[in-house]
Amino acid sequence: MKENEKLDDTAILGLLGKWGKWASIHWEKTLLIALVITIVLGSGFYFLKMELTYYSMMPKASPKVRDLKKIIENFPAASSIVVVLEAKDRRNREKAKETVTSAVDKLTEELSKPKYSKYIKQVHGKLDIDFFKNHGLMLTKTKDIRRFEKIFSDLRIVPFITNLNNDFEREYSGNEDKFSEDEDIVTSQLQGLREILLEMKDSTTGRVSKDKLRDSLSKSIDKFLFGSPYFLNRDGTMALLYVLPNFTINDMNMFVEGVPYLDRVIKEKADALGVKAGLTGLVVIAKDEMKTSEQGLALSTTIALILILLLMILSFRMYSAPFISGIPLVVGILWTIGITGLVIKRLNILTAMYMIALIGLGIDYAIHLLTSFIQERDDGHSFTEAVALSFKKSGAGIVMGALTTAVAFFALTVAKSAIVKELGIVAGLGILCELLAMMILVPAILGYRMHRLEKKGKGESAFLMKYKLEHRVISKLAKSIKSKPVLYLLITLAFGIVLSSQAYKVQVEGNLMNMEAKGLESVELQDKMVEEFGLAPDTLSLVFQDIEKERGIIEKIKKLDSVKEVESIIPFYPSKEQQERRSGEILDFRKILESKDTAGLTNYIDTSRLKDELSRLKDNLLEMSDLAYSADMEKTLYTLNSITGLDNEGNQVGSSLIDELIDTIDKNKNSSAGLMNFQNYFQSLMRSKLLKTANTQEITLSMIPSNIRNAYISGDGKNYLANILPTQNPWVKENRKVLMDQISTITDKATGMVLAADQMTEIAEHDGIKAAITAVIVIFLLLLIDFRNLKLSILTLLPLVLSMSTLFGIMAITGIKFDFINIIAVPLLIGIGIDDAVHINHRYLLEGPGKMDTVIARTGKAVFLTSLTTVIGFSSFIPSVMRAMKSTGIVLSIAMTLAFFFSILFHPSILIIIREKFHLNILPWGGKKK
Amino acid sequence: MKKRIYGLIKLIAMVPFFIAVVSNLAFAESKAISILERADKAFTSAKIYSVATMTIYKSGKPRTVVEIESYSMSSRDKYYSLTIYRKPARLKGTAYLVIDNDLWVRFSSTGRIRKLSSSARENSAGGSDFSYNDMGESGKGMAEKYNSRLLSDRAVIDRRKCYEIELTPKESGKDKSSYEKVVVFIDRENYHYLKIDYYKSGANIKSLYLSDYRTVGGVDYPFKLTMESHTEPTKTEIITTEIELDSPKVKKSLFTTSYLKRIR
Repeated sequence: MKENEKLDDTAILGLLGKWGKWASIHWEKTLLIALVITIVLGSGFYFLKMELTYYSMMPKASPKVRDLKKIIENFPAASSIVVVLEAKDRRNREKAKETVTSAVDKLTEELSKPKYSKYIKQVHGKLDIDFFKNHGLMLTKTKDIRRFEKIFSDLRIVPFITNLNNDFEREYSGNEDKFSEDEDIVTSQLQGLREILLEMKDSTTGRVSKDKLRDSLSKSIDKFLFGSPYFLNRDGTMALLYVLPNFTINDMNMFVEGVPYLDRVIKEKADALGVKAGLTGLVVIAKDEMKTSEQGLALSTTIALILILLLMILSFRMYSAPFISGIPLVVGILWTIGITGLVIKRLNILTAMYMIALIGLGIDYAIHLLTSFIQERDDGHSFTEAVALSFKKSGAGIVMGALTTAVAFFALTVAKSAIVKELGIVAGLGILCELLAMMILVPAILGYRMHRLEKKGKGESAFLMKYKLEHRVISKLAKSIKSKPVLYLLITLAFGIVLSSQAYKVQVEGNLMNMEAKGLESVELQDKMVEEFGLAPDTLSLVFQDIEKERGIIEKIKKLDSVKEVESIIPFYPSKEQQERRSGEILDFRKILESKDTAGLTNYIDTSRLKDELSRLKDNLLEMSDLAYSADMEKTLYTLNSITGLDNEGNQVGSSLIDELIDTIDKNKNSSAGLMNFQNYFQSLMRSKLLKTANTQEITLSMIPSNIRNAYISGDGKNYLANILPTQNPWVKENRKVLMDQISTITDKATGMVLAADQMTEIAEHDGIKAAITAVIVIFLLLLIDFRNLKLSILTLLPLVLSMSTLFGIMAITGIKFDFINIIAVPLLIGIGIDDAVHINHRYLLEGPGKMDTVIARTGKAVFLTSLTTVIGFSSFIPSVMRAMKSTGIVLSIAMTLAFFFSILFHPSILIIIREKFHLNILPWGGKKK
Repeated sequence: MKKRIYGLIKLIAMVPFFIAVVSNLAFAESKAISILERADKAFTSAKIYSVATMTIYKSGKPRTVVEIESYSMSSRDKYYSLTIYRKPARLKGTAYLVIDNDLWVRFSSTGRIRKLSSSARENSAGGSDFSYNDMGESGKGMAEKYNSRLLSDRAVIDRRKCYEIELTPKESGKDKSSYEKVVVFIDRENYHYLKIDYYKSGANIKSLYLSDYRTVGGVDYPFKLTMESHTEPTKTEIITTEIELDSPKVKKSLFTTSYLKRIR
């Protein structure tokens, strides 16, 4: 609603005309006024923060977001940077494993140095095995302690292997725990067993030195009892390193600076250690969001500005046109940013994107003013008269149009969510700032330009006369519409209806990760963590004040099919009752160990029985590998194959370690002596390690390793955190639904980035619809006030309705989804998309019946140009790497193109039919029929 | 070795007897019962011999294709089943014997036979998405365990109009179903089961799709069963390649541990 020529004779128009004239003559003073405004509003830059992360957009009033914020602030580990290390050469698994574990140790040492303390609080790349070595049995369930009593009741090698076989065979018949959950532990223990068997074999030959045997056997037993301390992937060629930073996602300045620094340092150091490193985690993703958003915005701004200014040159055939329109355009955007700084104090992804869209919107006012100015000059008016007349004739329309658009945008403040409110305020203010900048600066720059031309002794009329509106195509189209309105109506209607019929299939993006930039390392690493480490890319969290209450809830949640694991302090901190119960069992276990302290130091080993038990062990391992093969447990299968000598298909491709051991016993005359030697060390080491772990000392919170405490106990010690690891990627909407359906049967307190994002989508969806309805109502009321005719107001809304429903249909067909960014932009489309039809209405009312060809010919180019600039503004987001920006660019560009299409073809046709065929009155109430 | 192991064994033993799932459905509510009865008619046979392939898909990618030969029968309220692996080579000769709730396995790699616990009815079957309960119960059928309620006669599955019937467990104790409810979709035109949704702890955790119905011995059988998990990125497809009803190949002497020992 930018032109409203009916109001020609009002006082406002006179005022605007006078202003235009004054500003063009007193251009220096006017520029000074603009400068003062710029300085005043520019102060807003000081208060402005760029918060270009999705996290910053989350609804702060939502309990889930509040809880999430609380977790981030109180639990340092929630902001951990996860470093994924991968051996450069993964062909030899054993070597690759050595490389990554060594890299973990060296990087831990390096990053723990004081020079990194500005950003790093703590680094850990492996479990604190000492804690388990000292308190392992207290952390073990009573039934498992009893199992250990049986396995380790006699540590001489024959009884030990016999008991181990009994335990393996017992496994086939009773335990119902999830094997997949234990895969890491089982694999590690099998690796320990393999090493113990290798030590035994070497001892049998008598070739191994006592010291070496003692050292290597000690490590093997550690592995057998406690597993590997490293966080390794399925084949051991990748590892995870956790870096606890000195900042959280709430400290934007710190993470924007700290994450790139750490990224660079870690990658450099890792490279030198023969491993590739990649960083992920909440703060890393947030940093990547910031970076890709900034890149996207910079690219979009450049594209939009270049294209629009080029368009200005081509349209107006004036090299000065980009300056006359471009300077006020940029100044208007600067004012908007400044005022946003003063009012809202931040720019989020959406409002930052709007600043670029504003390039396409604000330029419209310059197009109208310049078009009008040129026409007046062509009509032979002097420079100052032409400026005054252009302001007088177009000014009111522009002001009226801008005000109605701004009102429609401000109406978005009815929304519940802060992001929609912010967008409404910024969008409304943006329109007003652009209007003000154009009204102040266009006449002043024109005046300055005239002054320069006069100084150089050049006239402008010859220059300006080059400018001719291209009417031929539009005139032809206009005549065709006028002669065949029914045909155009039916074609456009059919087009709209066919596509709209698919609109119900349009989907809402439920995966925030699909809105991130494609190929983002931090996001891709999350998928890698799922694939290689079996870790969920994101967890849900629960915060408790009462640890005892936590125990019961966690036990219930653990049993859910959609939950893989629940991580909390509980496995490291058994309840008092559990500790008391376990103490009794541990004491019994100790008694057994102590009673046999010297029993093993005998001079006899029954090699025949040993061989039988080894054969039995081989059978058990073969059967386990069959089952591991069936269940696709690659890690376990690989370890078992390394003992059995089989490949994955069951072919004997290598020698069986157990067969070799039996063979060695058979062939070596001194095998008994070697075995005795092995047995003595094995007994002694195993017993001392078991006695150490069979510790009845009560575990207190302070005894738990600090990395575990940091992860699960808040800084003030008052809250406990539990992380729920889902079986499937919770960012996928369908997975999230199953997970939440199950968890909600136990608790409604779960939160996490994924749920906060979900809530953000829900609120955006709800608010988007609410704001769109409000925008339609406000615009309808404005149309009623403007046209004072119900029929015409309804007809004016029709192209908008058609373009929106067609847009939804196109989105459904092409698979473009709504997301919480583009859905919020829909109400903006309503405010902008109505303009074209309004221009046509005004001109039609002015020209009268039978003159639709003139209407289209006269308004067509301006409508086309303004629509094109708006589309350029929106489409400049399409090349962005950030997928949310890209989809928003596509959606808004299609919408604006459709709005133009229906306004220029459908709307004139229906106006002709209604007014000229059916003779219905579309004139203002109380107005005279033309 | 825990859930997967038991599940695997039970699954393999039960593969051809999915039929039992549907044949045993009997329901309280009259309309639902009559619909289910018509649907169940297709699944009655005393002795069944079948050959099937089972493929587990993980994240959309197929894993090893397993070929299994199965024999099953019911006699004196007892349920018998013998399943023998034919492919892949690694598992060839692995066999599972089920007599009611008792299970035995023969490992091809060692030739040893082990008796297994029958307490893992609800566990995942060999990394597949089926569980023992999904494949049918030896002895007691689902009909005795579930109440039924017709939810809709206008449900649509694959563009086919369906009856949607909700089943909720009647029994408690150890015979209680592991699911809190099951929802079945039956084709209104031919009374074929098309889909079965399994619910646990408030969520639909997996869905079974039945398709490729072919007429065998005068009744329609689904030759393709696809169980899609909603809690894991997996699905399991079982395709029957050969089936004989009242087959002379099925003899009681097959269902003994001594026969299990003779399998090669």
